[in-house]
Parts: sequence; structure tokens; C-alpha cells
Amino acid sequence: MPRAHSPRSRLSRRSFIQRLSFFGGGVVLLGSACKRSEEKAKAPPADPGPLGATVNGQALRTFSAFEYAAVAAACERILPRDEDAGALDADVPVYIDRILQTPALETIRDDFLSGVAALERRSQRMFQKGFSALTPEQQDELLALFRDSPPKSGEAHFFELLTVMTLEGYLGDPSYGGNKGKVGWKLMGFGAVGTVAMAPPEGHDGPKCLRECGLHHGGAHK
Amino acid sequence: MSLPEVDVCIIGSGAGGAPMALELGRAGFKVVVLEKGRHYQPQDFIHDEILNSRRNFFMPLPWEEPHLVRHGAQSRYERSNVAWTANCVGGGTVHMSGFFYRLKPVDFRLRSTLGAVSGSTLADWPISYEELAPFYDKAEAELGVSGEAVPHPFAEPRSGPYPLPPLDVHPVASEIDKACKAMGWHSLPTARGIISRPYRGRAPCSYCSLCGSYGCETGAKSGTNASLIPAALATGNVDLRPGCMARSVEVDKQGRAKSVIYLDENGVVQEQPAKVVVVSCTAVESARLLLNSTSGRFPRGLANGSGLVGKNLLFSSFGESYATFRVSKQGEARPWLKDPAPFVNRSVQDFYLLPDSRFGFRKGGTLGFMWAHPNPIHAAVELAGDGKSALFGKALKDKMREYRDSRILQFEVYAEWLPTSGTYVSVSEDTKDKYGIPVAAITVERHPMDFAATRFLVERGEEVLLRLDPDDVRRKGVMGETTILQHGTCRFGNDAAASVLDKHCRAHEVPNLYVVDGSFMPTGGSVPSTLTIAANSFRVAHHLVRAMKG
Repeated sequence: MPRAHSPRSRLSRRSFIQRLSFFGGGVVLLGSACKRSEEKAKAPPADPGPLGATVNGQALRTFSAFEYAAVAAACERILPRDEDAGALDADVPVYIDRILQTPALETIRDDFLSGVAALERRSQRMFQKGFSALTPEQQDELLALFRDSPPKSGEAHFFELLTVMTLEGYLGDPSYGGNKGKVGWKLMGFGAVGTVAMAPPEGHDGPKCLRECGLHHGGAHK
Repeated sequence: MSLPEVDVCIIGSGAGGAPMALELGRAGFKVVVLEKGRHYQPQDFIHDEILNSRRNFFMPLPWEEPHLVRHGAQSRYERSNVAWTANCVGGGTVHMSGFFYRLKPVDFRLRSTLGAVSGSTLADWPISYEELAPFYDKAEAELGVSGEAVPHPFAEPRSGPYPLPPLDVHPVASEIDKACKAMGWHSLPTARGIISRPYRGRAPCSYCSLCGSYGCETGAKSGTNASLIPAALATGNVDLRPGCMARSVEVDKQGRAKSVIYLDENGVVQEQPAKVVVVSCTAVESARLLLNSTSGRFPRGLANGSGLVGKNLLFSSFGESYATFRVSKQGEARPWLKDPAPFVNRSVQDFYLLPDSRFGFRKGGTLGFMWAHPNPIHAAVELAGDGKSALFGKALKDKMREYRDSRILQFEVYAEWLPTSGTYVSVSEDTKDKYGIPVAAITVERHPMDFAATRFLVERGEEVLLRLDPDDVRRKGVMGETTILQHGTCRFGNDAAASVLDKHCRAHEVPNLYVVDGSFMPTGGSVPSTLTIAANSFRVAHHLVRAMKG
């Protein structure tokens, strides 16, 4: 009888990135190792402490102030500011904080928070400091260590989630909280080759459309 | 609770379901269309990559509605979202690119042409190209297709020009024309299911460049959501019910289909009785629905006394390569690199069928040239790579800046996927979706000839790219599969022991049950099949209307 063994590991990244022609844009849902929510091992979440706020005073929805500092530092190492804007300039951590509130991404949120915790633990062990207090070189060393971990490890998975979500936050529609000032699109040249109607209209709310577009509540039948 | 009986209940509103709804509604029959997805309006189609391409706007989430997929019967299944097409009114025609090729006469008699192929369950179609041709004409006219027919060795006969002139193309198209001509090949305009001029009240293409993977906000893309469905609803005889997931087709004591059990948009179980049931949920999902529709009469699934439902699944064999032109290096000499026109619309079909098997295969396929999709997140994730070679930091940003300075021309291969006994759909007793319905389990075991043909075509495509003198040509692969192109799980044929459907796509075992998505196709052809599915559905509708009117 067809049976999926160990859904968590079986739902590999390959399943997500398999090229579907005509989806030139790629139907790539977030990240790897997405398990079914009802099958996940429900470890009691560690108390993250009070939710914090960003340096610009934006209220956080997912991360504690402590977690946010680590996430912000890690994103900035994925896309550091140089002659072009970096992850922080684009408000990437704000994007990640908000998108992890999507109910359908609950498993991703759990994975991501475990990853942040693991990054902190490793940072303390190696450098006796929190991740956000490390030098950029030390942060890179730690991130490379996560990247180079065995393919199905939590560390490698977190590195991939971090990269993918940083790129989403840097290059996604600004209505999700990131890509502030469309700096990501400027870097990639998105829009430079396009013609009319390339970018979404002002006032577009992606998260709201994902929840509500095309839904027609109420009796379907006469 | 049972609803009032209707003449016809159609499950699915895509390329197969919509033509039936339109033609039956026009003929005055009362029709209900059940569509599991939402009914998006043009204003819902926004150029938002996260919304369209990276979440469940079109595709279900694999932890809510997985497909189980394995390569070879000895491997383990993986949960995946492959082999879904868009779940919404219009189905896969909403986010298609709309490459609207026809099959060619040889595709209808591939078994006779090639002879027996060891390891393949190859079969001829029970109809000829000539029988389908008038319905290709009709599908092109009803949907709206823009193109230009030019003579070439494998040109299929046509009764007339396309309904609409070709879309404007990028200057690189004439560079491809020159390259092909120099090699003695034929560079053909690719017909598109996108209207180039105002047509039947629809506005023409605005050349926005975000086409495939996206819904069309102007309605210029000829998805059934923009063309056939509104026309069907205008007949006043068609009741479209989005958000309704069919669970099973029920039969009466005589073994005739009597109703469809479904979950409505509030999750309430409903029963819709109908005189005729038409299934059109994609080849994978239609097989799943029939296999899940068990009864005393059909213990192995509806219309599956032969055991053939789900067998002979076909996708399309896929390969691709990319040519990169650096604008800063080449822009001066080639000012056309800076031209923003989105469409290339060139195809090569000189290798559709080879005269002998010296290259390890005879049935080849089609090369389609296009600019690489501009989705920036997708592109950046590719640039970052994965595993231990993944880039981050300055190295990644440098790649992104290089990308900004690049124009990337690619081709896609649509090659024959030979049917095998090892590629099929079954249903899982252990894995159920969020509705509690057993999910489709897909096993793929490909014929080695597919890979020989696909590699050959990729090599030919690269010859074209190299003649354009790009800075770089990179092969992405020769062993891919395009799983949104699905066929074969309910083959049609004249022999009830060797096929599920008769030549009118009516189940041999259930006289009032029809299947009209790609399931009917014993071979997939070597082109994208959307237009063929629509044309066949118009053909079946023509037959069904006459049969029902007696």
C-alpha cells in the first residue's frame, strides 16, 4: 500500500524545487522539511520572553527582542550592505517576523525559531557571546558552519530557510513588510526590463489577498 | 442531503471541463460545474511573486493536500506538491504560459509509426488528426489564439489562419530565425493562447512580461476563466460552484453514474445527482477520484473493472539550457539586448520524428525559445544555490548584480514521454488530505528512450544558442519532467479490455460517465497539450449534445 514514510524527512527540498515547466517563476514553497502540522513533535515552546520592537519602533509579532537581534544580524550577513542596500536597509527581518505569522506556515515558524535558538547556543559555546554581539567574521564562520552541516540536519535546514526567507524579504512585494523602498528590485534590475504594469499597484496588500482573494463565503447553492 | 437532479455534473473547470460546460449550456442542458478552488477575478491577479508563485494561491500546500511521488516502485514515496495544476476556476489554464501547439498527425498513430517499442505500452489513438482538426479550429476560435502558420516538414494541416495575428516579438526572434536558417532548420512562430488584438469583448495583451505562473489581470490570456467560463455562465444554464471538492461519483444498481458526492465551500457534504457525470480534474486527480469511487459494483474504483484506471500515466519529458548575455559587454554591439519586449515565440520542430533510430530514439519533440522568467526571488534563490556550495554575503550580492546586467535566453524541450507499465497513479489508504480523502500516489519509471531524445533536443537547442554568441551557455538538465502536462490515466481506445474510455471519452463500463481532461490520451505528443485537451473536449461535447438530444 502506498505509504509515506516519515513525512518530515520525505518531504525533501527536491519536492519543492523540482522544475515545473511554464512556472518559469518557479512554484517553490518555502524551504525544506515541511512536515504536516498534526504530525509534528510538539515540544513545548521555550518562553521567548516579551515580544519586542525593531529599532524603528515596529512592534514584533513572532520574535522576542532577543531573537530579533539575532535574526537581524544573520539576515544582514546573508545580504550585507555594501555599495547596494543590505537586508536591514530592506527591512528583511520585519518581513520574516510578519510572514511567520501566516497560519499555513506554522511548521516553518517552529523550524525557524528552533534554528535561531540553535544559532544562539552555538554562538555561546564557540564565542561565549550572543550571535548579534559577534563580529561579522565570527557570524559568517558560524553561518558557514550551519550551511556545511549534513544535508538533513536542523542546522543546514535553518541556513536554507534563512537564505530563502531573506531573499523573499529582500525581493518580495513591499506590502509584506520587506523590500523597503524597492531596494531589492533595484539590485536585481526587476522592472528595468519590464514594460507596463510590472510592479503591483499602490496599495496592494499581498497577505490580505492570500487570505481573501477569490473567496465567496455564503451558500453556494440555490 | 441530495440536491435537485441536473442534466450534467462536470467536475473541474479547466481546459477539459470548461468546453463541456459551454457547449452543454448552449444546447440548453442544465449543468453544474464543481470546482475545488477559488474563483479569482482579474483584479485578484497581481504581480506579486510571493502571492502567485510561493504560497498556496494556486497550488495546495503539500502538508494539506500532498501528492505522494516516488521514482520506481522500490523507492519510498515523498510528499510533494508536484503534479498539481492551479486549484481555481480555470484550473491550469489560469497560470499557463499558453503555448498553444497542435499535435501532429503522427501523434495519433505513434504505435503504428514506431512499431512495438520494448518496455513501452505504446498505443495508437482511436481517432485521427483529421477527426480532431475541426475541433482544434473551434477551440482556437473560442479561446482566442494568436499565431502564424508557416510551412515546415512537420507542419500539421490547417483549414485556415489563426483567429488572431501573432503577438509582437522581441528582436532576438529574428536572430534565432537566422541561426536556424544557417543550419537548415525551421524557426517557427509559437502560437499563444493570448490575444494580440481585442477579441470578443476581451482586451489584448499589454506585454507585461509576467505571464506564466501568473493570472492575467487584463484577461488577454486565454484561460478558460477569461474565455469559456464567462461564456458558459452567460447561457444561464450553468451553475458554477467554486470551493467544492468532489469526493466520489456514486452509481445506481445498474452501474450507471447517478450523483457526485462533494464537500461544499463550508465543508458540508452534498450530493449532486445528474443524468451524466463528466470528470475533468487533471489526469492525476481524475484517476484518484475514480479509484476512490468504490462500490459493490466497482470494488476497484469506478469504471475500473479492467484495472487500467491510473495506468499509463504520462507527463512531458523536459530539458533546458540558458544563454546569458552581459548587457554591459554586448549592449553596444547588440542594442536589441535592451529591448524590453517579453515574447520570443520561436519553436523548432525539425526533430519531431527522426527517419531512423541512429541516435537511440525516433520520436523527438519540440524546442521552445523564451526569455527566462523574470521572477526575482526565484532567480536569486537559484543564484544562491544550495548545500555546501550555497553562497551568501558579498558573493551572493555580486551574483545578483551580475544578474541585473544579464539577459537570459533559454529554451524548453517538450519531448515524447513513452508510456510504461511502471508509471501510474494509485491511491493511498494511509495518507489522506485535509478533506479526509485518500491522496493520489504517483510512481514514475521512465523509458530510457525519453532521455536519449531529450538530450538530443537539448544539444540541438544549444547549437542555436551558441550561434547567437552569448557570454555563457549553461545546461540545466536533460532528465526533467513537466508534471503540469498530464495524460494517459484513462486511455481511450476501441478495445474495452485495453482502454478505460471509448473513442468519445465515455467509460466503457459506465455509459453515462465521461472523462475529458488529458487522461484520455494514450500518448502525450511532443508539445504542451492544453489546446489538445480543449479541442478534444469540444469534440466530446459535440458528440454528447447529439446523444442527449437523441
